[in-house]
Amino acid sequence: MYNLNWFSQIGLQHYLLLSSALFICGMAGVLLRKNAIVILMSIELMLNAVNISFVAFSHYQSKLEGQIMVFFVMTIAAAEAAVGLAIMVSIFKRFREVNIRFFERLKG
Amino acid sequence: MGKDVFEVTINCIKLIVVFLMMVQAVPILVWLERRGSAFIQNRFGPNRVGPLGLVQLLADAVKFLFKEEFFPENGTKFLYYAAPVVALVPATLAYCAIPLGHPLQYGEYLFRLQGFDVNVGIVYVLGVSGLAAYAILLAGFGSGNKYSLLGALRASAQIISYELALGLSIVGIILLYGTFNLNEMVAMQQGPLSFSFRGHEILVSWLPNWGIFYQPLGFVLFFASIFAESNRLPFDLAEGEAELVAGFHVEYGGFKMLLFFIGEYGHMMVGSGLLATFYMGGYGIPYITNQALWQTFMDWTQDGQLAHILVSAATFAMFSFKLALCLWFFVQVRWTLPRFRYDQLMDLGWKTMLPWALFNVIATALFIFVAHG
Amino acid sequence: MISDAILFWILAFLSLSAGLTVVMIANPIYSALALVMTMVSVAGLFVTLGAYFLAGVQLIVYAGAVMVLFVMVLMLFDLKNEVYAFTQGLLTNVVKLGCLGLLAGLLAGTLVLSSYQSQEIQDKVVAAADQTKALGQLLFTQYLFGFEVLGILLLIVAIGAVALSRSRGGTHHV
Repeated sequence: MYNLNWFSQIGLQHYLLLSSALFICGMAGVLLRKNAIVILMSIELMLNAVNISFVAFSHYQSKLEGQIMVFFVMTIAAAEAAVGLAIMVSIFKRFREVNIRFFERLKG
Repeated sequence: MGKDVFEVTINCIKLIVVFLMMVQAVPILVWLERRGSAFIQNRFGPNRVGPLGLVQLLADAVKFLFKEEFFPENGTKFLYYAAPVVALVPATLAYCAIPLGHPLQYGEYLFRLQGFDVNVGIVYVLGVSGLAAYAILLAGFGSGNKYSLLGALRASAQIISYELALGLSIVGIILLYGTFNLNEMVAMQQGPLSFSFRGHEILVSWLPNWGIFYQPLGFVLFFASIFAESNRLPFDLAEGEAELVAGFHVEYGGFKMLLFFIGEYGHMMVGSGLLATFYMGGYGIPYITNQALWQTFMDWTQDGQLAHILVSAATFAMFSFKLALCLWFFVQVRWTLPRFRYDQLMDLGWKTMLPWALFNVIATALFIFVAHG
Repeated sequence: MISDAILFWILAFLSLSAGLTVVMIANPIYSALALVMTMVSVAGLFVTLGAYFLAGVQLIVYAGAVMVLFVMVLMLFDLKNEVYAFTQGLLTNVVKLGCLGLLAGLLAGTLVLSSYQSQEIQDKVVAAADQTKALGQLLFTQYLFGFEVLGILLLIVAIGAVALSRSRGGTHHV
């Protein structure tokens, strides 16, 4: 590489890059997977990726607001997981199926 | 980690020593448990094999090491072999954060008698020990056995439920001391019981300044929760042998079983260590502040460095004594009380302990608000 | 400084590889376990950023509670390896290419930017113990409204989850 400093000096860019890479992983999961529970997990992955960037900005700008946002995101993620899983359990109990393609046919 | 090579080396050695100390305490605990049970149930073996029944330990070790290595037919290989290792990690990591003695002042260096000093100690310990549920789930699913899976689901539901009561009973302690740091908590529990109430200094010289006297309800709740967290009787629903054969570790034998045991005893030690730190003054010696203790040793030996070492040794002995007392109580309870039924367990956790823990938090906050005027 | 860098690269590698595993592996249980790994390494990343309290909360909330729920539900369902775990078709290929392109673009952009833009945002470190205190004060004064709203949200979610997962008297009758 042209510049060894890029590897030894960790800065905001590194965290943002990591965060966006994780976000893309999660996004790909949501768009590509068929299992509804895996889709829920990919959403959690995306939320985590966002949390990294919040904390990184908060650290490098010495502002605590970013960390407050992380609290809010975490709470909402936990709530979303609880409701999502409850819905999945009740769907699975009735149809024995978690494939997202299956639910396209549900009407009314 | 440290300023120079000497400090870094000592700190690294310290980590290994604390880990080994936890693992090496397990045989002693097994011995304690076997002897305790043998006395209560009038068993023969553990009281009569060799001096004090110590040879029984050797027989246990040989049995564990030489059992046949097998793998269940329907199991998942990766999960089955990963579970015992995962069981060991959370207890070890949590135990490293508990202060075992007064920090040792050696020349210009200050060595803390604990694996590492985490400034959000409580949150860290709670977070790491919450990972213990995975070992149980992995074992239950990886074995490919109905009974294992049922036991694992029960156990992990129990651990999650009681973590709430555990966390809320600690909130009272956090409010009281105003810190997450376990070392600072211990430092605040020195000397006789004294606090200020609306500007008046209140001193009760015949009681030590321990958390248990400020938080009796929190103490009871915390004590009950760590029994549930470490899956011990009367809350060992995970291995109710009458219903589930042996719970999540039906399919495990030999050394893998031993690793689960070490994990369980490790959880007991973490729980007891936290109990001692929060409610019983940690490594502090009752009634005496560490400064006064150092002064006493100083007068006696006329050597500052030696006095520092003696203080650390004395406080470490004190902590070990408190830890042993808690662990002994664990063993006694195990062989005295019968097991709960599962719905009773959940009722106790959600309908009794959780509301009382909330009440404890509110009462503590109100008291602190009133006491500060 | 160099130890911080090593720690970051290890954690970044762990979280990225685990994150990729979540999406790539067909068995949903392994993908849940990989997500646990991601959560733990994200907690580690929070530590490298000095947010100790958040790292602990991340461990307690995500790794200790949310993911245990996921793993428990998956084990209850006992799904076998799915043959068609991924969607197929033209649109899917477009999405795959799009994700790859986004990632490549980000990498290239960062590399180009970092060559002539070095560390202008200074690293101002707040003492960690004070940070937790300041965080609490901020949360309970300036952001109190949001905090209360979240409390109500959690209450609604708890009631909703109970209503949804009841076998009788819920949204449907089995």
